[in-house]
This record gives sequence, C-alpha cells and structure tokens, in this order.
Amino acid sequence: MKKWTPYFLLVPTFIIIVLFIYIPAGFSLRTSLYRVLPFGRGMQFIAFRNFIRLFSDVDYIYSVKFTIVYVVITVSITILLSFLIATQLIKKVPGVRLFRTLIFAPYAVSPAIAGALWTFMLNPVVGHISYFFQRTFGIQVEWLTSKPHAFYAIVFASVWKILPFDMIFYIASIQNVPGEMLESAKIEGAGVMQRTWKIIFPLVSPITFYLVIMNIVVTMFSSFAIIDVMTKGGPGQFTTNMIYRMYLDGFYFQKQGVASAQSIILIAVMIVVTLIYFKFGERHVHYQ
Amino acid sequence: MKRIIFITLLIMLLLTSSLAFAADKVEVQFWHAMGGWRIELLQEMANDFMALHPDINVDVQYTGSYGDTINKLNVAIQSNVAPHIVQGYDIATQMLIDGEIAVPMQDLIDADPEFDIGTFMPQVLNYYRVNGKLYCMPFNSSNAVMFYNRTLFEKAGLDPNKPPKTYKELYEYSKMLTTKDDKGNVEQAGVCWNLHCWFFEEFMAKQNAALVDNNNGRTGRPTKAIFNSDAGLKVFNMWNDLSKDGYMINTKVHDWTGSRNLFISQKVAMLITSTSDVALMVKSAEENDFELGSAFMPIPADAETGGVVIGGGSLWIVAGKPEEETKAAWEFVKFMAESAQQIKWHTGTGYFPVRKDAVEDLLAKGYYSESPHNLTTIMQLLLSTQNYNSNGAIIGAFAEVRNAVESNVQKMLNGDMTPEEALAAAEKDCTDAIREYEGL
Repeated sequence: MKKWTPYFLLVPTFIIIVLFIYIPAGFSLRTSLYRVLPFGRGMQFIAFRNFIRLFSDVDYIYSVKFTIVYVVITVSITILLSFLIATQLIKKVPGVRLFRTLIFAPYAVSPAIAGALWTFMLNPVVGHISYFFQRTFGIQVEWLTSKPHAFYAIVFASVWKILPFDMIFYIASIQNVPGEMLESAKIEGAGVMQRTWKIIFPLVSPITFYLVIMNIVVTMFSSFAIIDVMTKGGPGQFTTNMIYRMYLDGFYFQKQGVASAQSIILIAVMIVVTLIYFKFGERHVHYQ
Repeated sequence: MKRIIFITLLIMLLLTSSLAFAADKVEVQFWHAMGGWRIELLQEMANDFMALHPDINVDVQYTGSYGDTINKLNVAIQSNVAPHIVQGYDIATQMLIDGEIAVPMQDLIDADPEFDIGTFMPQVLNYYRVNGKLYCMPFNSSNAVMFYNRTLFEKAGLDPNKPPKTYKELYEYSKMLTTKDDKGNVEQAGVCWNLHCWFFEEFMAKQNAALVDNNNGRTGRPTKAIFNSDAGLKVFNMWNDLSKDGYMINTKVHDWTGSRNLFISQKVAMLITSTSDVALMVKSAEENDFELGSAFMPIPADAETGGVVIGGGSLWIVAGKPEEETKAAWEFVKFMAESAQQIKWHTGTGYFPVRKDAVEDLLAKGYYSESPHNLTTIMQLLLSTQNYNSNGAIIGAFAEVRNAVESNVQKMLNGDMTPEEALAAAEKDCTDAIREYEGL
C-alpha cells in the first residue's frame, strides 16, 4: 500500500496534464499531417506538406528569425535590469517597501491590459510618452506603426511586464548571500562593482538559470497578447513572431493543419532549448 | 415502502416539470458580434420578439468580434453545440457556404408564402446572393463613407459645402488642412482611415474595378487576384502620397477606435469609416463642438463610375437542428428583418435598413431631412452602379487576402516598397492564398 501512495497522490495532477496537454498535443501532431477544411468539412492526409510549405514560406522564416531576436533581447535586458534593480531594493532606506510594491504592480496586470495601456501611452497624437518625446526632443514618433519603433515598443512593454517576476526572485536570493562574505571582501578592498559581479552575481546564478528558462517560455508564448493588442504583428509583419503567426493561420485564416504544424515546431524548439540549456547550464551554474 | 413512494413521486414530479418546460418554450440561441451599446439594443429587440412569441425563448449572446464568432462557430459545429442563429460577417460568406453549416435562407423563404423577398434592397441581395441563391438573411449592412469637420474646413479657408470628390482634391484639401509646428511635427492632419483592406476594396469598387477573376468570383470560383491594375495603382499611389507627405495619419491594422478618436478629437479633419458610425459621429460632433459634414468616397478624376460594396453582417440559420427549433429560429430571423426592427436598428446604429419599405417609412416621417448624414450614406448606396464589381468579391480565403493586402500596404507606407512593388506583391500573395484555399 505504501508503495502506491505517491502514485495515488499524483493522479489528480496527472489527469489534468494528460487531459489538457498530452491529448491536445497528440491531436495537434495528427492534424499537422492533414489539410483540415473549416467547419469539420473534412481532412485530407498530406504527410509532411504542411511542414515543407512552412519552411519554404518567406513569412514563416521571418517570424522564426524575429522570434529569436525578440527573445534574446527581451530576456537579456530583463535579467540584467531586474538584477541591478534588486541590488538596490535590498538596501535599507526609507520607502523601499513602497518602491517594491510599485515595481511589482505590472506583474499583476494581465498582458492584454498591459498592451492596451502601452498602446494608449504610445499613441502618436494623444499618448503621454509621445508628448514627452515631442516636448523634450522635438520629435514625433509613430511608435506602433513604423519601423523599427514598433519593435522597441514591444520589447519595452514585455520587459516592463516580466521584470517584477525576476526581481522578486533576485531580491529573495540576494538577501541570502552571506553577509560575512561581502564584509570580508570589503575589508580586502573589493569595490561595489567587484562585490556585485564577482560575489553576488555568481552566487545567485541558480536563480538566473531558472529565470532565463522561465523568461524564454514567457516571451515565446505569452507575448501573444501584447503583440495582438499593440501592433497586430505590424507594420507589415514586422513584429509577427511564431506564436502570432500561428494564431493568424489557426484562428484568423482557419487553416488548422498549418497551425498545428507550427505548434509542433514550437514544441520541438522548446524541447531543444531546454535540453541544451540544462546540459550547458549545469556546468556553469554555481550551486551552493 | 414510504421511501420508495416518495422517491417515485419526486422523479415523476421532476419529469413532468421538465416535460412541461420543454413543451412550453422552444429555446433558440443567437450569437452575434455587435459590441458596445449594440448588445443592449439587440437584447431589447429579442425581448420584443419574445413578448410577441411567448412560446419561444431567444438566448442572445455576444461572442466577440466577427472573427472570434466565426472561430467559435467553427469549434461549436464540430462538437455539436452550435447555436441556432449566428451572425456572420460579409467576407465569411463563401467560407460558411463551403462549410455547409446552414439551412439556405432561400429554402426557408420559398417555404413561407408570407415572406416577400422583393421588399429587400437589390444592392444588399446582390451581395449575399451566391450563384443566384440566398444563403443568409441580410441584417446589418454598411459601407464606407467620408465624414469631415466643417469647422476645420472653414478655418483652413475651404468651402465646407464642397467636400473633396477626386483623389487630387483629397490631396490638395489634406495639404491645406494639415498644420505642422516649427519642427515639422504634424499637429493636425488632413485625412485618416484605419489600416483596413476593406477601404481598398471600396476604393476599387468605386472605380468599377474587380479584385479577383471570374467576375469577382460571381460567375465561377476565383482562381487569382487581378487588382494589380491601373485602378489598384491609383489607390496605392494616393494612399502613399498622402502618408509620405504627412497629410494622412495611419493607424495600426483594424484600429477603428483609433481612427475615430483622431477625428473626434479634431486631430484630423476628414475621416473615412463605416456608415455604421453615423449615430456615434453625430453625437461626438455635438459633444466636441464642431460641425459635421458627410460625403461620398472620393474617386480619381478620370475613373469609371462604380459603386460602393456592401459590408457588415448577415444572419445564418445553422443546419441539423430539430425542425421545431429551426422553425422558431426562422420566426426570429423573419422578425429581425421586418421593417419596424430594421428602422430601430438603423436609427440606433447607422447600419442601413435592408428593406425598401423601411426606407420609404423613414422618408415619410421626414427622418432623412432631420438626419442629413444618414441621407448621404443611403444615397451613396442607391446611386451605386450595380454590377459584379460593386456587388463585391466572393472569396473563400478572404481573411487571408485582406491580411496580404494590409501587410503590403504597411510595407509601402514604411518605405520598404514602392506602390508598384507593394501592389504586385499583394496580388501575388492573394493569388497564393486563393489557390491554396481552392486546392489548385
């Protein structure tokens, strides 16, 4: 009986995962090999034609490239910025709690609302940020409808949205860095920069490792709402990433087969990224 | 023993009550895509219907945008939980016919001697009739129209009684209406319409030009896009020139609210939008203290005279329901198409009444002399030449076609492509989409 208890306890989670993740993934795998007509009118087996089409489609290749650039830039900025802000927010100065709360607020906002907020603030005519730019620099920027500004706007909104999550983790882990170690370093004559980058940063590397993976997942998959609300993948597919491309094909053009093929590619990419990172990451991460 | 009797009685009670309920009312579900204040308007109309038909209960549900509603329907049909009536948008017409999801409206009309389709406006019927057959009931019809700010016209020294008629005038007027600060930033622009392929379609039809072959898909299934023509280039050039010189503000894709707000806040002097915005525009102009003008869509000076294409949505009765329910659904659809309801809907929104007698009634009431902007919109429709070009294209892959045009227009506006290149690329992408849909 005892032997079976853990399995018994795992059953509820397992049922949910199988029902809502593995079975739909299986369906996707199947439909990715078919040409699916809308309204269940029929399916036609076409083997790997959906995949072959995708990889010879210039627009799809572009969305893959764009996703890579977008993920790398967004995740790097977020990690770096959240670490730096966290090092400041652990200091015991009056009002620090208030700051923490304020900076954490974006995390509680849903991505769609975040997108709507930024859309409003970046409106070239009535937006606050546009007004600020016009007043201080005398330039009028069409943030969401011109190149390359639409990209900056999306990266900015994404960083703003993910930053609090990373920061909370960093605040917790930086506070765990042994004070004696920092003190002795200080006595030995290490400056602020040295202490931050040579002691604190390596000591929190397990957290960084975890956050990088989490952030990649979030920027790849949850970026949909921000892009849909802010730019709709525009101007001219400029900000269309893989997940938005999939949405367009699946839910706007009603091409379920092609969209399933894209979801299979996304799953494969995620598996590869995770595997590589675990292998590569393990060696460079310092576990206490 | 007592317990058994009690339980039997309870079960019988439950059975009879549920039977009674079932015999009492026929449940009809209605999915629509009309947001905002129109949700309540439609509910009100459904309540009026239920008061007249106490044996039918209509469950009105707002299911998001047109696209979302089609999505939801796609899934619902496959899992057998589809509603009885669904509002489909103009460009989904061919896809819904191909999906064979509906009881063709024509069959229901033919079976009901009470109903006279002859009272409907031919402009509207011509759009929704495919291969001579009406598959759905026209309900909310609109097309593109131009609104302008008469107050700003006067300020710029333009005659507010002479809105621009040609592309050339549109450019010149926009130039005069644009004001820039000393750094060259636009403070007020001439014209705006949201980045939507629908306007390209309307601009083409106004020039009597087709989008796809086989007479816009009306005499056979389309096989390729054919809008890389003189007419198409004129539209792209006009759009590009206005934007490049800063006389036009472009929004992001499908940003209806954004473009309306620019006009309402008097940041642009002219707005091309849907006729369904009439009621909103009249109210907003009053609130913001400017005088509203309305005009037909401009055309190039040397263009052939065409007409505007019907847009908006229609009601579809989903097939495969019990006969009694389909009958109830037909009653509701019939009710919604009645003159009284069409007038209520028209005056509450700006969508056209789809019936001739509704227009006649409104005319008799003096409605059009009190609401000149509604007169502009209906006149633009009535004065349109009726042929395959102004009846609008019928394309199965229309959503993808629109996306292809919009993407390439954006590339042109961003300076990545010349108007010639963008037009050629758009045509090629559209042909690819059509061929893929048709399995060619």
